Amino acid sequence: MDWLRTCWSRCVAFFGVRRLDEELDEELLEHLDLATDENLRRGMSPQDARRAALLKFGGVAQIKEDYRLQRGLPLVDELVQDVRFATRQIVRAPGFAIIAILTLGLGIGANTAVFTLTHALLLQTLPVRDPGELVRLAIDLSAVDKNGHDAPLNLPIIEAIEKQSHSVHDVFAWCVYDFPFRDGGLNSGIHGAIVSGNAFDSLGIQPAAGRLLTPADDQKGGGSDGLAAVVSYRIWVSRYHGDASVVGRHVIVTDHPVTIVGVAPEGFEGVIAAEHPDIYLPLEFQGILYGEPSKHTGARLWLDTFARLNPGVSRRQAAAEMSALFPKILDATLPPAIRHMPQIEKARFAVRPARTGWSKLRSTYTEPLLLLQLMVGAVLLICCANLSGLFLARASARRQEFAIRGALGAGRLRLIRQLFVECLMLALPGALLGVGLAWVSGPWILHMLGNVEAEEAISMRPNLTVLCVTIACAVLCALLFGMAPAWTASNTSVETALRSSNPRASVGSAGLRNFFVPFQVALSLTLVVVAALLGTTVTRLLTKQSGYRTENVIFALTDFLRIPQKDKALVSLYRRMAEQIEQRPGVEQASVSAISPFLGWRWSDEFAAVDNPKHAVPVEAMENIITAHYFSALGVPILAGRDLENSDSDRNSCILSQAAARLYFPHTSALGKTLRNVIHRPGTHDTFHDYQIVGIAADTKYDSLRETPPPIVYLPLTAGENEQTNGGSNLFIVIHARSVAIANSAYLKTLHEMAPSSPEIPPVVFSESIRDSVARERLLSVLSGFFALLGLLLSGIGIYALLAWNVTRRTTEIGVRMALGATRLKVFALVMRQVAGLLAIGVLAGGFAAFFAAHSIRSFLFEVQPGNPWVFVLSGLALVLVGLVAATLPAGRAVSIDPMQALRTE
Amino acid sequence: MDGKSDVLQGTLDLMVLKTLESMGPLHGYGIARRIEQVSNDTLNLNQGTIYPALLRLQQRGWVTTEWGISENNRRAKYYSLSRLGKKQIEKETESWQRIAATMARFLATPR
Repeated sequence: MDWLRTCWSRCVAFFGVRRLDEELDEELLEHLDLATDENLRRGMSPQDARRAALLKFGGVAQIKEDYRLQRGLPLVDELVQDVRFATRQIVRAPGFAIIAILTLGLGIGANTAVFTLTHALLLQTLPVRDPGELVRLAIDLSAVDKNGHDAPLNLPIIEAIEKQSHSVHDVFAWCVYDFPFRDGGLNSGIHGAIVSGNAFDSLGIQPAAGRLLTPADDQKGGGSDGLAAVVSYRIWVSRYHGDASVVGRHVIVTDHPVTIVGVAPEGFEGVIAAEHPDIYLPLEFQGILYGEPSKHTGARLWLDTFARLNPGVSRRQAAAEMSALFPKILDATLPPAIRHMPQIEKARFAVRPARTGWSKLRSTYTEPLLLLQLMVGAVLLICCANLSGLFLARASARRQEFAIRGALGAGRLRLIRQLFVECLMLALPGALLGVGLAWVSGPWILHMLGNVEAEEAISMRPNLTVLCVTIACAVLCALLFGMAPAWTASNTSVETALRSSNPRASVGSAGLRNFFVPFQVALSLTLVVVAALLGTTVTRLLTKQSGYRTENVIFALTDFLRIPQKDKALVSLYRRMAEQIEQRPGVEQASVSAISPFLGWRWSDEFAAVDNPKHAVPVEAMENIITAHYFSALGVPILAGRDLENSDSDRNSCILSQAAARLYFPHTSALGKTLRNVIHRPGTHDTFHDYQIVGIAADTKYDSLRETPPPIVYLPLTAGENEQTNGGSNLFIVIHARSVAIANSAYLKTLHEMAPSSPEIPPVVFSESIRDSVARERLLSVLSGFFALLGLLLSGIGIYALLAWNVTRRTTEIGVRMALGATRLKVFALVMRQVAGLLAIGVLAGGFAAFFAAHSIRSFLFEVQPGNPWVFVLSGLALVLVGLVAATLPAGRAVSIDPMQALRTE
Repeated sequence: MDGKSDVLQGTLDLMVLKTLESMGPLHGYGIARRIEQVSNDTLNLNQGTIYPALLRLQQRGWVTTEWGISENNRRAKYYSLSRLGKKQIEKETESWQRIAATMARFLATPR
């Protein structure tokens, strides 16, 4: 308590300095007068009385100093002094300050930009109540497929968990959806989610207007308001202008009337990170769209599930309980066909933390973002090394100033503190500039993610966390680059400094400066090598043949789940659509396909070669279900045999890719042979369907540009289970036309004519989906390239500055040499020799560091060896070139020194 | 210089407080003189050091100040003991007495 009172008194006193000083003077004078009077009374002479009083008192100035230290905030006083002094320094040498601030702005800005992205994608917690309690429940498939993502759950499983689990409560489901949306004259698509009735309750958020969904809305036929919906804050502001009348508004979602009952709070984007749902509907909507069975089905895994941990229960305990309940729940809810699939048999229940929501983007981008943070950290280190060198130079010129300060009583810590404040005065504006740069470049970086939804959902505006991190960065920088000069400055011996006639000559600091250049060069070399390797990776990925034609091809996803045509009529519809589109002017070929390559969907099945007894064991291959003209639409040549035809006569024919033919019929031609599709059904023995191989197509990639072309079996489109085709009711129409626009319009026209009630999903341009499949690599390549260039630039500046400083320092020496007969060439060589030495050390050290770094990014590379000698040699040469160019200017200046002038200057 | 001992910071505070307790409100000079008298001049004290000490006591709320008129009919700052200061005296007196008793026991042990 005393401490608090003292603090308060000190703060108050800080602001009344002048008045308090006057009072102190008055008080002390009065004390001396009283003492003098007493001495006079004792009989001393007036001078003696005064003198005795002063002696008894002690040193007046000293007492006043002690008093002031006790009274105010001496630290703040000193800080104010330092700031004023630093400002004067900056104003006197603005060029230096500008270079420093720009350098720091670039370094810190790059850091901020990457960190903003990292934060938005990886770290930002959901704006809900107690996000730490949230967990995601899913089926972990990684036991079977190492790269497998978690599988979602379904409603029966969720209900079973809610009933049986003691470790979680408030379980809710979430499924992202695109809906056709009509509101008055407005007719468009809307991105949204269907959620459990208790989802918003569980998340614990408050509506911005109206109310949120409740379990009462999730009943058959909707709740008291009919079918209720909640819209996002963003759309409330942009489409409805924040008007409160949106509550109660009637809109049409997928041909069903829906009432808007409320608006979600600002900044709430659901629980899936990087998604931006604009409308939330209850789970019951699924039943309304596709029939009650589809909502309650156990046959499909489609609901992302979240829950809250019970108080006192840890995630591990919850996971243990779930693992115990798992087999029973699955037995009770999943149909046998799915329950006994190998992936599900070996799967486990996963309880994952969900305080930052969940996103597929995360798993793709965690490693690249970390790599980028490292690179950007390296750039910042180069910045600091640069500035440190510059500061050292200036500090050595101020040796006399520091010596005088030391003589006047400044402690070592005081000097260091002063220099630190000077550094901070440059670092903070640099940080401000950096934040501005990051803000400006944010949207552009986001665009590189190649994910349109992420672009709209992630805000790259620097928020509080990012700003704090930036400022901490700036302070750290100031410490880093201020430490070296501060240390050497406070090390100056007072005598030698005051006596020295040449204040610029310094001995100790040269050693330290000679460390910074190789350090920068080594870091830059590492950055350049990494960037070169990543850039080569992207180039190789994009130029390597995927096997497909990529220009002027579109894939249009159809949603025919709710149209009247079923079974054979659906198959025939698809075929006729493709044929009709092909007839349209400008369209070359059109076909139907179950999968779109490079979208990340994989469909595999087991096949066996009937005619080959050695290969009687079924082996897995990739599968696609197609109609006629698929291969010609995608530019895949048919190497033997023929294409499939659009008639039932071909319903037992199939086409193999080259790899599949080699796999199943290694020594003979596969044409004409029979391939058996083995379908596992537990409880009964396997069934199979035999196909005759009528054609062999060229190899293509299936899912990722990185893979070698897998064996692919192409089956014909026929009727399948559940009144759908054997590929479901969400097939792609593949169109190759003279231009993308023609393809698009041909598709839309045909869709409106032949399946008018199905939702219109914008087609995807094939070349874009290929590019997006390597969005991660592209992001890495572009950004790392940019950082490498930045590093090179900064290193060049560092070398230039060092050399310029050296030349200035050695002007006298050079003058003497020239006067004694040294040629210009010899002087040039003298100056360059120093740079050459430092460059050599830097390149050597950098080579090792780069080699190490290249090996650690092995997993990102494609068809490039981490130890590729060309990359290293070229990078090394680039650095040497930059170093030499940077050194030429000061060397040129050295060469043009006039000896007489040099000797006269001190 | 012999026979005079240096004054520790904490003890000076206590001496000032006790002086104010027994003498009532005093100005700085008066406190200093009184301390000199009471200690029989055995303390090696520069009178000026009383002022930082008084400031400390003021900051902690143990004394309060008021401007008044001194014996010389001029303005002087008078210090008086506050309620908190009285409590502080009790605390510190007790503490000193404990220390003194302990030391006495040690010093009294027969050789």
